[in-house]
Amino acid sequence: MRTLVRLVILSTLIGLCGCAEIVGDGRTVLRIASWGGAGADDEFAKIEREILDEFERQNPDIDLRMEYIPGSQEYVRKMLLNTIAKAEPDLCLLDASSAAVFIENDVLMDLAPLIAKDPEFRLDDYWPNVVDIARRGEKLYAIPKDFTPMVMYFNKRLFDEKSVPYPKEGWTFEEFLTTARRLTDPAKGQYGFKFANWMPGWIMWFWNNGGDVLSPDGARATGTLDRAENAETLAFLKRMIKEEKVAPDLSQTASMGVDLFTNGQAAMEINGHWAMVGYRSAPKDAQGRPKLAMEDVGVVSLPTNVGKSVTVMYEAGWAIGRHCRHPEAAWRFVKYMTGPTVQERYARSGLAISARKDVANELAKDSREATFVAIVPSARPPWGAKVGAYNPVEAIGQNMMNSVLTGSKTIDQALKDAASEIDEEFGKQ
Amino acid sequence: MKATRTIKNAATYTGLILLAVFLMAPFVWMLFVSLHESKSPIPSMNVWTQRGTFGFLGREYAWVLPEVVPNVWHWDNYRFVLFMPDIPVFRFFLNSVFVTLVVVTGQLLVSSLAAYAFARLEFKGRDPIFVLFLLSMMFAGPVTQIPVYLIVRSFGWLNTYAALIVPGLSSAFNVFLFRQFFASIPKELEEAARIDGAGDLRIYWRVMLPLSKAALATAGAFSFFAVWTDFFWPLLATNSMEMRTLEVGLSVFRNSYGATNWPLQMTAAVIVMAPLLIAFLFTQRYFTRGVMIGSIK
Amino acid sequence: MRRRHGVGYWFIAPATLHLVLFALVPIVYALYLSLFKWDILKDDKPFVAFANYLTTFQDKFFWNAMWNSTRYTLVSVPVGMAVALLVALLVHQKIRGVTLFRTLYYIPAISSGVAVAMLWTYVYLPEQGLINATLKLFGHPGDLNFLNESAWAMWALVFMSVWTGLGPRMVLFLAGLVAIPNSLYEAADLDGSTRWRTFWKITLPMLVPTTFFVLVTSTISAFQIFTPVYMMTKGEPDRTTDVVGYHIYSEAWEKFHVGLASAKSFVLLVAILGVAYFQYRAMRDQLREYDAS
Repeated sequence: MRTLVRLVILSTLIGLCGCAEIVGDGRTVLRIASWGGAGADDEFAKIEREILDEFERQNPDIDLRMEYIPGSQEYVRKMLLNTIAKAEPDLCLLDASSAAVFIENDVLMDLAPLIAKDPEFRLDDYWPNVVDIARRGEKLYAIPKDFTPMVMYFNKRLFDEKSVPYPKEGWTFEEFLTTARRLTDPAKGQYGFKFANWMPGWIMWFWNNGGDVLSPDGARATGTLDRAENAETLAFLKRMIKEEKVAPDLSQTASMGVDLFTNGQAAMEINGHWAMVGYRSAPKDAQGRPKLAMEDVGVVSLPTNVGKSVTVMYEAGWAIGRHCRHPEAAWRFVKYMTGPTVQERYARSGLAISARKDVANELAKDSREATFVAIVPSARPPWGAKVGAYNPVEAIGQNMMNSVLTGSKTIDQALKDAASEIDEEFGKQ
Repeated sequence: MKATRTIKNAATYTGLILLAVFLMAPFVWMLFVSLHESKSPIPSMNVWTQRGTFGFLGREYAWVLPEVVPNVWHWDNYRFVLFMPDIPVFRFFLNSVFVTLVVVTGQLLVSSLAAYAFARLEFKGRDPIFVLFLLSMMFAGPVTQIPVYLIVRSFGWLNTYAALIVPGLSSAFNVFLFRQFFASIPKELEEAARIDGAGDLRIYWRVMLPLSKAALATAGAFSFFAVWTDFFWPLLATNSMEMRTLEVGLSVFRNSYGATNWPLQMTAAVIVMAPLLIAFLFTQRYFTRGVMIGSIK
Repeated sequence: MRRRHGVGYWFIAPATLHLVLFALVPIVYALYLSLFKWDILKDDKPFVAFANYLTTFQDKFFWNAMWNSTRYTLVSVPVGMAVALLVALLVHQKIRGVTLFRTLYYIPAISSGVAVAMLWTYVYLPEQGLINATLKLFGHPGDLNFLNESAWAMWALVFMSVWTGLGPRMVLFLAGLVAIPNSLYEAADLDGSTRWRTFWKITLPMLVPTTFFVLVTSTISAFQIFTPVYMMTKGEPDRTTDVVGYHIYSEAWEKFHVGLASAKSFVLLVAILGVAYFQYRAMRDQLREYDAS
């Protein structure tokens, strides 16, 4: 028993020390929710810390409290729960992929009145199609921070080794497959392509074959998802992985436990601009040279069978909570974070493309960045930016892809099942 | 007679050791991988690499080890994870220690008090109330999270230690466990105390609890590990970095590193588990011996 | 045995207050929610009476999840208990170094959920994973993709639960074994009873309360298994590991249909109650016998 009593006393002491630190100091406290907080690159985390410190220096009346929430699934859940309890943070980072849930459910404050009152702030500075992701009629719910289209990256060194010409804008699925085949070398454990098996990373294959997941109004999947174009797309992907074996299958990917592209073991991959952060810190070979050198990274638009390549645009913007108690201070923060100085620092770190035209165009003097900027107009927002109930669609879609790739369902059956499941889900709304 | 005993003992030990190897192998692997260079591929267990040579009876022999044993031991992985610039790992650790100790202590006291009454005292509604405790265990968690969250919120406890502690202060499971245990203690022992004029509280504190060290240690260990490793509730109930527990704080790693950096993932896993292991090794003596003391002859 | 009434209430007051606040009120609230089309954020939360229950009964994925939980429970609980009892008997012997083994055997149970998920994801990896690498040593190709194949995934989770559940169950059985008075064994020895007979006639019957406790709690937690599924398989592949705990979670937190998820929780509650009652009935006679002895 004595041990127990001692433990209680000890615990209480630790607790008292802990509580003392939480007391505020009279400054306006802004609670800010964001995902991440532990980037793969500590260089990036350092920059973020400096940017936030700088804001507190410039605004001595404001105390920033960052609330990092791990995982995108947890982010949405936690934010919604905060909202029903009216305990949501003053500001949050809005992910285009889940923007509709937040907007449709009135979690966010309309920023249009704040913009109208503020002569310093010009919305024209930002890419219009990026701004529109968080726009509903006259109302605007977030100021874009940065964005990225999904593009095809390729490793020039591996192309040169096999004397394969670099891919060109407007290439077709078959041209892509031929290229990948020539770059695959089982003896070296080298693959032509690294297939990212998550729906945000493969939905563009559907679009580039003239198909889609949901009807144009986003209301239903039957009649769209189960069409022949999509069956073709799935058949193509399955052939690529299972028959041609130019991309590792799911279990092979898992069993290697490394990122094949940064490891120089896959010649191509589809990814966003953020991937560059990882490329810069690619693992080194025995001689100390990076397995993927930055000058070898090429960028091209996604292969397409419909003439004009389409891709998806993932974006993050700063939004203010509807119940925010200090909208003026929060707005100052939004302006700071999306303003030219901060944007330039972020953009140079390579995570994403600045949503500001001036900053992005400045960086686009680099030819690789220029390719990115050229792809921007062909990028469309993700379904999650338009459809509030999109969350389950991703789970269902992923199920579908897995059952096709493992062969547990025929392609037609998988598409039909997924379509009816999605509609059933929408029906419950 | 002696020979058969020796054979039997040898068989027992073989069984015990095989089982230990089976149970420990994943942990040993985890430790090895955490010491490989960050971003290196999953090391193979079946590929043997030469690590050097040794002379024996005038001849050179090569000695080999499986690839899984690191060539260079990358202890810097631990420095990297522990001192990540924006993750206060040490603070997470203190939070976890504080919350866990208070919850475990509270749970043991509150649950054993109630269990004593259910096992030994008679009062109106005793059995129906006990059944309520049992029923509450059978209700699936995800849905009650919302009401519990709203209740905690209405007390203004969100993002405080109270939110992390109070909802865990009693456990129906432990009430059940203690009741079963108290029921197995012979009544003669407390009758003797009662004749000496002891009240219920005294009997509970002086007779039942000392006799129940095994149950206390068992239940205490169960709750310790359950609270330490709880993930969802601390995630919901806290917002700021300073209030996070170790399990939530380091789960960031699974998200940041996905399946492509096994060495750092395993480093994080070792860091979360090490305190558990140390706590366990310190208490295990009490824990395994406690079982013995609890025996009633 | 007469006691003053009233004292008992003071003893149970803290636990009961806690129970009311953090279990009963939330459950009643959930029951209330189950009668509404209650989506987390929609302002419009219409009363729908039993429509959610009707949806539940017609939902083939709910029944798929119930079936998955059932087969998970039916295998993991008996196997886990048998293994734990066996190990408890093994480490109950008075031999040198036995506490070391007890300690070692408990370690899997103290691992954190996130760490275990990371670890077992590896154990089950094709090619490089611990199991496949071991199989390769014996000439097997080692290409079993445990977590991604419908035929394997559920059994992979069961196997893991036997591993993580061993420690606590072993300790409970051990506590039960230790509590058996030596005099009973001495008497049996005098009667010249064989070890096998002693086990069946003394050890097992004396372990009935422990066994009942382990059985009921294991069954309940097996029915509610959630974390490993959430961390490792997400109900995949082809919903073969979509157990009911995970199914309800995703209904509430991925699809945000809290009302429907509450209704499903109550259907699950009734099912668990049924099973627990059945277990109680099956063991009632033995429990009585024990109380009488």
